[in-house]
Amino acid sequence: MENSFKHNQFAHCESGVVSTLLTNYGLPISEPMAFGITHSLTFFYFPLIKLNNMPLIAYREVPKNIIKNIDKRLGVKIYKKQYKNMVEANNELTRLVQDENKLVGLQTSVYYLPYMPEDMRFHFNAHNLLVYGKENDEYLISDPVFEDVVRAKENKLTIARFAKGVFAPKGFLYYPQSIPKNIDYENILKKSIKKNAKSMTTPFPFAGVKGMKKLANAIEKIQNNNDERYVKNYLTHIVRMQEEIGTGGGGFRFLYSAFLQEAKQYNLDNNKLQTASELITQSGDILREFALKCVMGAKNIDRLNSQEIAKSLVEASKIEEEAFKILKTI
Amino acid sequence: MKQIEIPQEENKTLNGHQKVMYAPNTNGEFQTFNYGSNIEEYATKLAVEEYEILQKECLENIKNNTSSPIEFYMYKNRMDIPTLASVVGFFQFRVKRHLKAKNFRKLNDKILQKYSDVFGITIDDLKGFNYGK
Repeated sequence: MENSFKHNQFAHCESGVVSTLLTNYGLPISEPMAFGITHSLTFFYFPLIKLNNMPLIAYREVPKNIIKNIDKRLGVKIYKKQYKNMVEANNELTRLVQDENKLVGLQTSVYYLPYMPEDMRFHFNAHNLLVYGKENDEYLISDPVFEDVVRAKENKLTIARFAKGVFAPKGFLYYPQSIPKNIDYENILKKSIKKNAKSMTTPFPFAGVKGMKKLANAIEKIQNNNDERYVKNYLTHIVRMQEEIGTGGGGFRFLYSAFLQEAKQYNLDNNKLQTASELITQSGDILREFALKCVMGAKNIDRLNSQEIAKSLVEASKIEEEAFKILKTI
Repeated sequence: MKQIEIPQEENKTLNGHQKVMYAPNTNGEFQTFNYGSNIEEYATKLAVEEYEILQKECLENIKNNTSSPIEFYMYKNRMDIPTLASVVGFFQFRVKRHLKAKNFRKLNDKILQKYSDVFGITIDDLKGFNYGK
């Protein structure tokens, strides 16, 4: 694998890994397709669950959603394994990438990856990467969010594979085992697009476009909070949740728009796809503006106008509502 | 399709790396672009600095006997209480007690070893805490 493997950089780790794995094993699937087919675009705001004392906000489905759904949707068979024993985990990884020359996906903790820039080391256990070879005691790694390949010594990678806590990877390893011959993309895409549209327009108040409006309300209320340190952290926390590892500037929105454009090849209503794609791109752009306003608000806390900030989020939610109403009828 | 501006600002938190985003090109087709965002840089920096502030405040609290060294190492490792509790395998209410100086003094070596392992330090680093020096 080492000599023939070509590294690519992606916007998001899980969709990047799944795209590379499937393509490598004989089924060319782009990152946008991997993301869209598994209906991974979402929005979730849950103030009762806290991360660093801040409310949980998510812009895409829960980690492993892509890995879990890609086999269901496409009929691909994916070998998945977790381990109790670290030695066994390393033996199997070595055997697969060295003896069998296979490309393999792993779930790891960001915090313990030795090549991660210091400022990016936070405890996030659901980072995905690829291993394509081994040289002495170093694994050759294709980390989808980096421009070039990287390496990690076995002992260090093991720590990252077995980090404890939320979403603990337990050495999770995965790779495609079989690819189906005929895939009915037209129907699969229709189902996936409809499913994603339904989840974004759910009546559940903390999810989808309703969730965006709820967060906007909470941001308005922050105007009356006198704890400047808290308000600064709150505003930048929102930005970090939006920009999390692997994406940038409402990046999942742009990724989904790219998916809708690609879906045009499969006999769906292209006018609807185009309109929705333009709207969701617009939303991604507004979310970027929203992030900028949050940062400016944090930098100039004495002149904070949280209502102004909230307005952008509400605007994005309205545009997405329009887009997903169209997609529900695809 | 309206064009999206691709930011090319410096982001020092990425150590010279750039991330990738999707955007429409002039033909309306989506492709990947490398970008650098100082919005992301600011947000990441603030999160890093907050942990540094928490560490400093904690050192003061250790000096005046309210906080325990466990709290210091928790912040040094960029953890919050739910994360630490999950990683060390204790309930959150228990961890909260261990963060207080008066309870820390009573902890046995077995418990201290669990925390030491999580933080990648020795029991002596906890027991003989020297203000992170």
